[in-house]
Amino acid sequence: MQFLSTQLWCPSTQWGADEPAKSSTPLSSAEEGTGDASVSVRADVLIPAHGAPCYTFADMSQASHIRNFSIIAHIDHGKSTLADRVLELTHTVADRDMVEQVLDSMDIERERGITIKAQAVRVLYTAADGETYQLNLIDTPGHVDFTYEVSRSLQACEGVLLVVDAAQGVEAQTVANAMMAMNAGLEIIPLINKIDLPAAEPERVRHEIEEGLAIPADEAVLTSGKTGEGVREALEAVIARIPAPEGDPEAPLKALIFDSYFDTYRGVVALVRIVDGSVSRGMKVRMMATNTVTDVEEVGVRRPANMPVETLSFGEVGYLITGLKDPALVKVGDTVTLAKHGAIEPLPGYREVKPMVFTGLFPIDGDQYPDLRDALDKLQLNDPALIYEPESSHALGFGFRVGFLGLLHMEVVKERLEREFDLDLLATAPSVEYHVYTTAGDEVIVHSPQDMPETGVIERVEEPYLRATVLVPPDYVGAVMELAESRRATFKDMQYLSATTVEMHYDIPLSELIMDFFDQLKSRTRGYASLDYEYIGYRVSKLVKLDILLAGKVVDALSFIVHRDKAYQRGRVLTEKLREIIPRQMFEVPIQAAIGGKVLARETVRAKRKDVLAKCYGGDITRKRKLLEKQKKGKKRMKNVGNVEVPQDAFMAILKVDE
Amino acid sequence: MSDGHDTRGAGGALRTSLYIHVPFCVLKCAYCSFHSGPVSLEPGVGEHFSWAVAESVAHWAELGVLDDVVSVYIGGGTPTTIGEPLVRLVERIVNAARLAPGAEVTVETNPDTTDPALTERLVNVGVNRFSVGVQSFDDEVLRTLGRCHTATSAVRAIGDLTASGVRVALDIMCGVPGQTGESWNLTLEHVLDAGVGHVSVYPLTLEEGTLLADSVRTGAMGGLDDDLAAEMMERASEVLSRGGLERYEVASYARPGDESVHNRGYWTGRPYVGVGPSAASMLPADLFDSAISCEAWNDPGVAGVGNTVGRVPEGTTRVRFVRAADTSGFLRRPVGPPDEVEYLSVAQAAAEDAMLGLRLAEGIPQSLAESAGALGALADLARRGLVEQSDDRWRVTRAGWLLGNEVFEAVWLAGARRGLA
Repeated sequence: MQFLSTQLWCPSTQWGADEPAKSSTPLSSAEEGTGDASVSVRADVLIPAHGAPCYTFADMSQASHIRNFSIIAHIDHGKSTLADRVLELTHTVADRDMVEQVLDSMDIERERGITIKAQAVRVLYTAADGETYQLNLIDTPGHVDFTYEVSRSLQACEGVLLVVDAAQGVEAQTVANAMMAMNAGLEIIPLINKIDLPAAEPERVRHEIEEGLAIPADEAVLTSGKTGEGVREALEAVIARIPAPEGDPEAPLKALIFDSYFDTYRGVVALVRIVDGSVSRGMKVRMMATNTVTDVEEVGVRRPANMPVETLSFGEVGYLITGLKDPALVKVGDTVTLAKHGAIEPLPGYREVKPMVFTGLFPIDGDQYPDLRDALDKLQLNDPALIYEPESSHALGFGFRVGFLGLLHMEVVKERLEREFDLDLLATAPSVEYHVYTTAGDEVIVHSPQDMPETGVIERVEEPYLRATVLVPPDYVGAVMELAESRRATFKDMQYLSATTVEMHYDIPLSELIMDFFDQLKSRTRGYASLDYEYIGYRVSKLVKLDILLAGKVVDALSFIVHRDKAYQRGRVLTEKLREIIPRQMFEVPIQAAIGGKVLARETVRAKRKDVLAKCYGGDITRKRKLLEKQKKGKKRMKNVGNVEVPQDAFMAILKVDE
Repeated sequence: MSDGHDTRGAGGALRTSLYIHVPFCVLKCAYCSFHSGPVSLEPGVGEHFSWAVAESVAHWAELGVLDDVVSVYIGGGTPTTIGEPLVRLVERIVNAARLAPGAEVTVETNPDTTDPALTERLVNVGVNRFSVGVQSFDDEVLRTLGRCHTATSAVRAIGDLTASGVRVALDIMCGVPGQTGESWNLTLEHVLDAGVGHVSVYPLTLEEGTLLADSVRTGAMGGLDDDLAAEMMERASEVLSRGGLERYEVASYARPGDESVHNRGYWTGRPYVGVGPSAASMLPADLFDSAISCEAWNDPGVAGVGNTVGRVPEGTTRVRFVRAADTSGFLRRPVGPPDEVEYLSVAQAAAEDAMLGLRLAEGIPQSLAESAGALGALADLARRGLVEQSDDRWRVTRAGWLLGNEVFEAVWLAGARRGLA
């Protein structure tokens, strides 16, 4: 394939002799210092005698030959594997560098088989019409926690490939993501994927897409990410059906920052979609929202490693490096324009990401507090959705109250902190943001049960509600209703998407949803149900703070906020659970659940009566000492609350309170 | 040594104990995690083993650490399983080592491998004490434990042994799943009836990888009840002391004068030499310095301990080393290198002596508590009612017997922390 039809002169370099040397040496990402994908990019590279190589995509940079699209789907429907096939088909990644989920560069993404961060990649595709097109593909996360990543990606596109699993059919995030694409006015091409599966039922799924999503599916493309079948047809559909980008090449630069990440060496790297005009290295530009003027150090495209180009013109997707090191100055959603005679009106941005779930993160070893702070600082550079503020607890010492998009996000962040920064962390039960109105007329924002004002001064408490969408086979409607009822959810409506799928809507408090709701939903419907939700606002609820007392003392880190009608039952179940978790100590440990001073439930951990190694002769002595040292390590993983040793599990017990 | 234990006899020889590990038994018990296994008794294994032990003992004797042996303990496994070769094993040991006058020579046995003829032959070569693994006088409990014998055969075996005039010690077990208080009382009564001078009472512990641990994990058997085991230990203490058997250690009861000389050594810092697979030895560090000049220590052909405990770090006062739990390895190379070596500093040795000394009813002297750096820890334990101080000695209380690990841990960690500082 001939990648370079035009060669641009790079002003900063001088070609040697008459002819530039040409080679197809793979360009590894490591050389670029991004370290964000261990793949090589195959491209024809012009190697000048001195200076950096320079790449051009001139023909394909004409807007008529550009297609920008996202792949959207419910989690596990095969987006990332399809993206792999596209990269292979277009020879974007050398065969020897092909791994599964090429675009998912984090270990945690590959291990869990999920996409957390959206990834943009440019591929060149020679279509059936003989023309070569520039396709900018954006692989998006499927999990509801990362919906905001999808919404951002859609801003950079004219169309989407809506991937639906041929066996699973339409699921909750299929609906949610399709709605998002429709609202953004994008062309939607349905793909029925995994047709190689024995359980594939493309006809049923086609029907579900038409009935449930009101998207004509007669032209749905049948694909298999596994075998590669239909991938070429999908790309042909992209070229035929997704419109080329529109924009004004003569207008002042307008580029939308739709994502960003932090590179240790280069600072903030902004992923941009050029809407009007063009941007080149050396230009002076202004970030409109933060009113920051800076030089453009480099522009380029992701293949998927960064590859510098001279210019990005309207319609194109690429990256932009300014040398700015402060992520706060390069905001996702902001518009980049020229420093002088720039655009007057910024592009419509999108709402800031708001964390929904909060938890206390405490280092088990108190000395690691500064390390935890540094680690959070570093993670935040690439994850603007992560917010945190210092929190201290009598029981757990110094830590942070950290806000997340959802439980998966929380798990992922905790795991990354422990793995990438070698920290041992204890997480308290997740909470939501409560709005408390006092009798004095103040509004108090409560992220942590510790901050809850005294019962006496509370006029009312409001909590966040979600509109939950559950898709489930008709046989399990009863099970879903039962679960929803137990979680204070209000039934809104339901409809048959097809003979095999019912769509149910509920309004449910977020605090109930984060309490093991998804696991319960899955287990009660044998894994058939899928869930999506969106935030709908705050509603008044009868909420109280339930305290847990160990040996007569309130353990702040175990307190939680609960609906008054459920306080008794939660308290009873939790005290029972804690009795099982807390090991026997030298003295009797009463466990109480109380509201204010009123005790609702009580359990007792009996005092330890016997703990002695009876046999201790020659060889046993070494063994015994090793045992003592091992026990000491085990105890390090416990927290001393007063004089009670509490294992970490205790602080998460509230999450697993089955009803 | 730090508690004043006299490790040098009158003649200046190092006063030591000798332990022989015989890794054979008739059938592995359900709770047993020791290095032992059923003898397929290929002809000659017992004899081969006996020779290997003799070779190793001779090696140690040559190095001068067996010149004043106050106790020999032949344990396992079940040493009597190998029969006649055991007699020759004892004979060879007794000839190679210099036993102190009246030295205690114990052989471990089980009711089903105790036979009067063998007993007589062993007594003739110098065995003067038998320790019998009775465990229970309740056949139901014996079945749970996977023992091969019955209560009846136990009574008969004990009778035979006492008739031969040797000292007899019994092991019994409490806290066994399914064991009732009534069953326990019956076992204690039988013990008193047997008229023996020494009894060890062990609460059952589940060791990873044993049959019993597996049955409990899979739910085939109920779990252990610590409260019940505690009650049974208390009950044993009452019944046995009423019968004249005084508790002199966490798990050991004896008529006055009938305490185990060998076991006391472990708790009072007496050096010991262990021979056989998985056997542990503990010797003073200075021995290894002076031994540099002794050829046998460093002879690569012998691969003796001298050149395999490695360079003894400065400040070490004791070296403890353990042979691998590998019977065929031991048979191939009786004087082989140790598998694990520990170097104890003065502070660590004191902490260990204090920890182990507190297992004894006599406790430890104030001077040892001081040198172990354990005064703070002991004061704290005293506040919690686990130890008490009188006559310049620290002793565990009744509650302390049952919660020994709390005491041992506090004392050891206090000393070890100091040792690291």
